[in-house]
Amino acid sequence: MINRRHFITTVAIGTASAAALAACGTGSSTTAGETGSAEKPVTINYTWWGNDDRATRTRKAIELFESKNPDIKVNGNFTDFAGYWQKRATEAAGGGLPDVMQWDLSYLRDYGQRNQLLDLSTVKINTDAFDKTLLPSGQIRGKTYGIPTSTNAFAVYYDPAKLASLGIAEPDGSWNYEEFNKFLSEVGAKGNGALFGGTDYTGVWWMFNVWLRQNNIEAFTEDGKLGFSKDDLKKWWNLSAKLRGTPALISEERATQLAPKSPFGSNVTATEVTWDNFMAGYLADSGAKELKLVPVPSDDKDNLGLFLKPSMLMVASAKTKYKDAAARFIDFMVNDPEVGQIFKTSRGVPASQTQRDGTTFEGTDKLVVDYEKSIEKYLKDAPEPPIVGFGTLEASFKRVSSDINYGKVTVDGAVDAWFKEAEDLIKQNA
Amino acid sequence: MTQSPTLSRRSASPSAPAPRKSKRSGADARAGYTFLLPWLLGFIVLTIGPMVSSLYLSFTNYNLFDPPKWIGLDNYTTMFQDERFLQSVGVTVGYVVFGTPLKLAAALAVAMLLNSARKGQGFYRSAFYAPSLIGASVSIAIVWKAMFGDSGPVDQGLSFFGINLGGWVGNPSMTMPMFILLTVWQFGAPMVIFLAGLKQIPADLYEAASMDGAGPVRKFFNITWPMLSPVVFFNLLMETIHAFQIFSSAYIISNGEGGPAGSTLFYTLYLYLRGFSDFRMGYASAMAWLLLIVVGIITLIIFRTSKGWVHYSGDAK
Repeated sequence: MINRRHFITTVAIGTASAAALAACGTGSSTTAGETGSAEKPVTINYTWWGNDDRATRTRKAIELFESKNPDIKVNGNFTDFAGYWQKRATEAAGGGLPDVMQWDLSYLRDYGQRNQLLDLSTVKINTDAFDKTLLPSGQIRGKTYGIPTSTNAFAVYYDPAKLASLGIAEPDGSWNYEEFNKFLSEVGAKGNGALFGGTDYTGVWWMFNVWLRQNNIEAFTEDGKLGFSKDDLKKWWNLSAKLRGTPALISEERATQLAPKSPFGSNVTATEVTWDNFMAGYLADSGAKELKLVPVPSDDKDNLGLFLKPSMLMVASAKTKYKDAAARFIDFMVNDPEVGQIFKTSRGVPASQTQRDGTTFEGTDKLVVDYEKSIEKYLKDAPEPPIVGFGTLEASFKRVSSDINYGKVTVDGAVDAWFKEAEDLIKQNA
Repeated sequence: MTQSPTLSRRSASPSAPAPRKSKRSGADARAGYTFLLPWLLGFIVLTIGPMVSSLYLSFTNYNLFDPPKWIGLDNYTTMFQDERFLQSVGVTVGYVVFGTPLKLAAALAVAMLLNSARKGQGFYRSAFYAPSLIGASVSIAIVWKAMFGDSGPVDQGLSFFGINLGGWVGNPSMTMPMFILLTVWQFGAPMVIFLAGLKQIPADLYEAASMDGAGPVRKFFNITWPMLSPVVFFNLLMETIHAFQIFSSAYIISNGEGGPAGSTLFYTLYLYLRGFSDFRMGYASAMAWLLLIVVGIITLIIFRTSKGWVHYSGDAK
């Protein structure tokens, strides 16, 4: 039987002990954060996006880490890319971001500038083996928020077997946009409704970024504004204007229905312009024996506008209680040669030289590494982390250009619509 | 005469014993509130609290990270210059206006079929109710997407009749019919209520009408419809409110983007995208409040018009 006095004493004792426990918590934390021991390991949370293949590889890497670091346990969790960012947003609002996270360049400013991420230069992570031009991609205003795990670059994929069956010669990647368009049209014409040339490459923000660089235009200015004009974007979206509605490009209707699988992975198109680390995914999706990579088109033979982008970064939450453990896990994931051996090129080409050297690349993995080597002489500096809210801009770029393909809007109207959204967003986040 | 079901409480018999006023009543009230406490706490903490804070946030530029800054009515005014917002209103209104009446018609038709005594009646009722149990689930949205995709069963079935529409999922002008079919198919809940209403209509009315030589159409319009009108009213209200809130199926079928070409950008989906993809929680909160107000007004309008067409059996006609 609960009487009032008993109840009150219980509550009072409970409250007091909770307060005492909380005091212990703050008392024992030091600058390095709480540390564990083999008998009493600390547990850090790690989250990433990706498919089952990446989950298997990541779990292997975590097991390896735990066996080498018995004082740390890693609790892993993953979702798909779109859901990933919605989850992080709610966690950040509640102050509960996981200790260590896989991160994308598009969202680095959103969280870094808002003090959600740990400045990794304050903890011990070895970056000696990294290309010095790549590291700035993870830095904002002198602070290091992310360490790249790996790099990727833009490329044109094609399926040699499909081209051979149509009697079309394989491209060598030295093409301008007109030649590229002609190539797509030829595939579409010979494909006879069963095979299209490709998807509309002008709908991809990063390809637009490459094109801007080919024309020596910056995507964003240093003060976080758009570096290009409406005319630039008009020119870009008009590049494929003559192909729209022809078999050179797969119709938006078809492409939408195939989503989330890509048309290329579904064997409906012969080419795809995208990041080179998608190789493993495309091979798995399409079941093709072999896929090849060549450089993107450019109207300037000496400037392909290409760059190595961190395909993903490792970041830690600013609020983590286990800074030391988080740093050791990040260091392990980016530098350990055995981790490279586990992931191969599925995260991109390992960014750290130590990890790269410790990995044997064969078959398609070798193709990706070779491709990045082959474009070395054209490479420019890695891009700075894009502006706050870039993830939204990237998504609306794709959406608006898909509206062009649906015939819902003209190129001019699309440019106006996108600029309006972009300017609104920049104003919001200023 | 039998009372019509739902919503006819005002004509309920007034002979129920009035609550006794005594010393015990204070203690009773206390006990009552104590038992109510768990629910009340939940209601205040999980419903009223968030609602009040979202009302406050709707006047700020809250972005999940920075402390909210008061911006007055800005969120509400910019909404009407936001083309995507206007598009989402158009999509949602179209869905409500076409989907709800069709769903109710289907529910009523099936209820009338199931009303007559037949063997295996219980089985048929459960079978027809099943879609609404599973209809709002994630798996059904995925199945729906597959059914209406390129060379899915619907596409193939139609081409058998020489109609070549291709997949509906990727075609901006076919996505709305697809969603309306999905909601019509979930007629179970209103159907059960209609069925209960039909059972309440006294059989002697139909008998008398038959004696006078009335056909089935006449019987429907002169007996079934007026006798059933309170139930129709209730269902119309519930389904209209429900239709405004469509979210999960739209989210899944369009991969959370509202495509193709914005044709499935339902109000709640855009609200969600604004809040959780663009981090514009203030704007999303304002959208939520606007929806609440508009649904409230529409409910009020339906209530007002009901006087003209809803017939309560106790009333003089």
